[in-house]
Amino acid sequence: MLKDWLGHHHGHHDSLVHRLPAAGKLWAALAIIVGSVLVPWGWHAWFIGVSALLLLVAGLSRVGLWFLLRRLLLLSPFVLGVVLVNALQAAVPGAWLALAARSAICLFTVVLLSNTTPFGKVLAALRSARVPALLVTTLALMHRYLFVLLDESERMRRARASRTFERQRRMRWHLLGTVVGQLFVRASERAERIYAAMCARGWK
Amino acid sequence: MSGAIAIAGLRYRYHDGTEALRGVSFQIALGECVGLLGPNGSGKSTLLLHLNGILPDKIADGGAVRIAGEAITATNLESIRRQVGLLFQDPDDQLFCATVEEDVAFGPQQLGLRGEALVTRVEHALGMVGLAGYGHRATHHLSHGEKRRVCLAGVLACEPTVLVLDEPTSDLDPRGRREFKALLQGIPATKLIATHDLEWVVELCSRVIVLDRGVVVADGPTVEVLNDEALMLAHGLERPHSLRHHHPH
Amino acid sequence: MHIPDGFLDGKTAITAAALSTVGVGVALRQVRRELPPRRIPLLGLAAAFLFAAQMVNFPVAGGTSGHLVGGVLVAALLGPSAAIVVLTAVLVVQCFLFADGGLSALGANLFNMGILGAGGGYLVFRLVGSRLRGLRGQVTGVAFGGWISTVLASIGCAGQLAWSHTVPWSAGFPMMASVHMVIGIGEGLIGALAFLAVQRTRPDLVAERQPTSTGVLPGGMVRYGLLAALGLAVFVAPFACPWPDGLEAVAAKLGFDAQATSSVVHAPVAGYRWPGIHSAAGATALAGALGTMVVFGLALLLGHLLVRKPTQEPTKAATKEPPC
Repeated sequence: MLKDWLGHHHGHHDSLVHRLPAAGKLWAALAIIVGSVLVPWGWHAWFIGVSALLLLVAGLSRVGLWFLLRRLLLLSPFVLGVVLVNALQAAVPGAWLALAARSAICLFTVVLLSNTTPFGKVLAALRSARVPALLVTTLALMHRYLFVLLDESERMRRARASRTFERQRRMRWHLLGTVVGQLFVRASERAERIYAAMCARGWK
Repeated sequence: MSGAIAIAGLRYRYHDGTEALRGVSFQIALGECVGLLGPNGSGKSTLLLHLNGILPDKIADGGAVRIAGEAITATNLESIRRQVGLLFQDPDDQLFCATVEEDVAFGPQQLGLRGEALVTRVEHALGMVGLAGYGHRATHHLSHGEKRRVCLAGVLACEPTVLVLDEPTSDLDPRGRREFKALLQGIPATKLIATHDLEWVVELCSRVIVLDRGVVVADGPTVEVLNDEALMLAHGLERPHSLRHHHPH
Repeated sequence: MHIPDGFLDGKTAITAAALSTVGVGVALRQVRRELPPRRIPLLGLAAAFLFAAQMVNFPVAGGTSGHLVGGVLVAALLGPSAAIVVLTAVLVVQCFLFADGGLSALGANLFNMGILGAGGGYLVFRLVGSRLRGLRGQVTGVAFGGWISTVLASIGCAGQLAWSHTVPWSAGFPMMASVHMVIGIGEGLIGALAFLAVQRTRPDLVAERQPTSTGVLPGGMVRYGLLAALGLAVFVAPFACPWPDGLEAVAAKLGFDAQATSSVVHAPVAGYRWPGIHSAAGATALAGALGTMVVFGLALLLGHLLVRKPTQEPTKAATKEPPC
C-alpha cells in the first residue's frame, strides 16, 4: 500500500532536473497543472506539447519512467468511480477521455516534481513566497516526524500481532480506537519534548 | 555559592502533587566531569531540566539553581541556555530539523549568527563530533549513533560552558559508546551526565552523585562511591564488575 | 475523497480555493492568538499523527476501504482552528508527496474535509456536548460529529463535481452520500473511541480551552460557518433545491445549467409530491434524513456503552513527567 511506496522517493538523487531551483520547478508545475485544467480539450497542441515536455524532463531526471508510470496506475476507487460515471452519463461521448488525460498529466507532473525536489527545498520556496511561518513550520515538523510516527505505529502493530492468537486480518474496532488514541498521546508527548529541546537551544 | 553549577535545596512537585525533588543540593566546579546516578523514578531527568530553566514552568526568584554564580530567573533564560547545553535522552526529540546542517545551525541561528560565521560554526561542530561532510544528510536516515553525535554537535555549536547529558549511551552499541566517551573526553566543558551505564561512569567521571527518591544519597569520588556495595544495592544500583577486581585507590 | 486534478473545472476550483484560503487565513490567525507557544510543535505532530492514523485502514461493506479523516477528532482535541491548520498540512503533504488529491483541487479538498467537514462536525460536537453533560456528551458528540463531517464532506464533493459537469448531481449525490453515510460510521466510531482513550490517559492533552456552555464557541467558528454556508450555497444549493421557475431562468442565464441533468421536481409547497418516486437524489436526501436520526441514536447508544457514569469527570491522571 502507500506505506511500501513511501520508501521509493528519489528526491535526493542527482540529475540535471534535481539541480534546478525548487521555486522554478514549483511555478512550472503549477503552470502546467493550472493550464491543463483550464485549457479546452480542443487545443490538442497544449496537451501534446506538455506531454512531450514531461516525458523529456522525466528522461533527464533519471527517475525510472516505469516507476513514474506505475504511480499513475494507483487509482483509488473514488477516481475510478468518477471516471466510470462520467463515461456513462456525460452529455458528450468521449468526454471521459479528456478527464482521464487531464488527470494523468497533472498527476505525472506532481509525481515528477516530488521525486526531483527534496521537501526541504519546497518548504524553503514556500517560505520565500511568504506563506505564513506557522504553516511552514507545521509542514516541516509533520514531514520530519511522519516516519517516526509511522515507525511507532508499526512497532505497536507488531507488538499487538505478537499477542493476537486468532487469525484476524482486520483489527477489531475497539482496538482501532485505542491505537489511534495512543498514537495521539505519543505524538503529543513527543511534541512537548520537542518544545523543550527547541527552548534549550534558544528558541523564542 | 560558586562553581560552574550550584544547587541549593531544590524542590519540585509534579502537577498531580507528587514530589519529584525534595531538597537537592550539590556544587560542581569548573571542568569537572560528574556522573548522576540513580534508579528509575529518582528524579534525574527532572533535575536536569532545571539546569537550563525548562523547569519549573514558572521560575520564581528563589534562586535554587545557579550557573557560574548567576541564579536562573525568568529574565536571564537566554543567557543561561547559551551557557548550559542540554542533550536529551531521545535524539529524535532533539533532531527536529530535516537535514543535519539545518539542525546544527538552529542553536547558533537563535543566537544571532548568520552567513559565513554560521557556516563555519556548523562545520566546526560537525568536525568535533567526527561527522564532517554530513551536512546534507536527512536526519531521519541516520543511525542511532550518528543521531546522537549530531545532537551533540547541535549543542556544541552553541559553545556552552556546561554540558548536561541525559542517558547518552542508552541505545549505543559498544563501539558507539567508546566513540562517544572519546568525544566527551575531548570537550573541555564542565559535564554532568545522568546515566545507568556504571562502567562508562567509571571510565569517564571522577565524581558521582547518587539520587534516590528526590534526594542526594551519595556524593563523592567515583570509585569510592561505586565500591560501596551496600549503598549501591540500597539505591537500585550495583557495584560495577570492573571494580570488583580493582583495589580502590 | 481526495479529488484529483482535472476533475474540477476552473470556476469550481477557483471558488473553492478562494473559500479555503480565507478559512485557512482565519484559522492561522486564531491559532496564533489561542495556542500557547509550547503547543506550536503539536500542530506538526498532530498532522503527522493524522496521517499515520489515516494509514490504518478499515474495510467497508463491498470491499472498498474507507479510512479515517480525523478532522473532528483533532478539532475536539485541539480546537477547530488548529484542526483546519493541521488538515491543511496533511492535505498539502498528501498532495505533494503522494499525489493524493490534485494541486488545483487542494482548495476544494480542504473546503470539503476541513471547513465543511471538520467545521460542521465540530459544531455538532459542541451542540451535542452542551445538551448532554460530561464525558458521555463529548463522546457522543465526537461520534455523531464525525459521521456528520464525512457526509457533509461528501456532499460538498458531489456538488463540486456536479458544478464542473464531471458527474451530474443526480448520479453523484446518491452515490457519494450513500457510500459516505456508511464510511462515516467508522469515522464516528473510531473518533469516539480514540477521543475516549486520550481522555482516559492524558486528559490534560484535550485542550483546556473547552468551555462547556454553548454560548461560547471558539473564536473563528462564526466565520467558518459562514464560509461553509457560502460553499454549500454555491456548490450544493443549485442542485439540491427545487427552484421556482423564475429563479431557474436567471440561473440558466448565468450558466448554471445543472438543472438539465437533475430531475428534482419543482413543486410549490402546497402540492408537494414525494420526491422518492421521481429522483434518486430526492430518495437519497430522504434516506439521509432518516439515516441521520438513526445514526444519532447509535451515537447516543455508543456514549452510553462507553461511558458508564454520565457526568464522569475525566480522571485526573498523573501528567506524564519526564521519566528518570
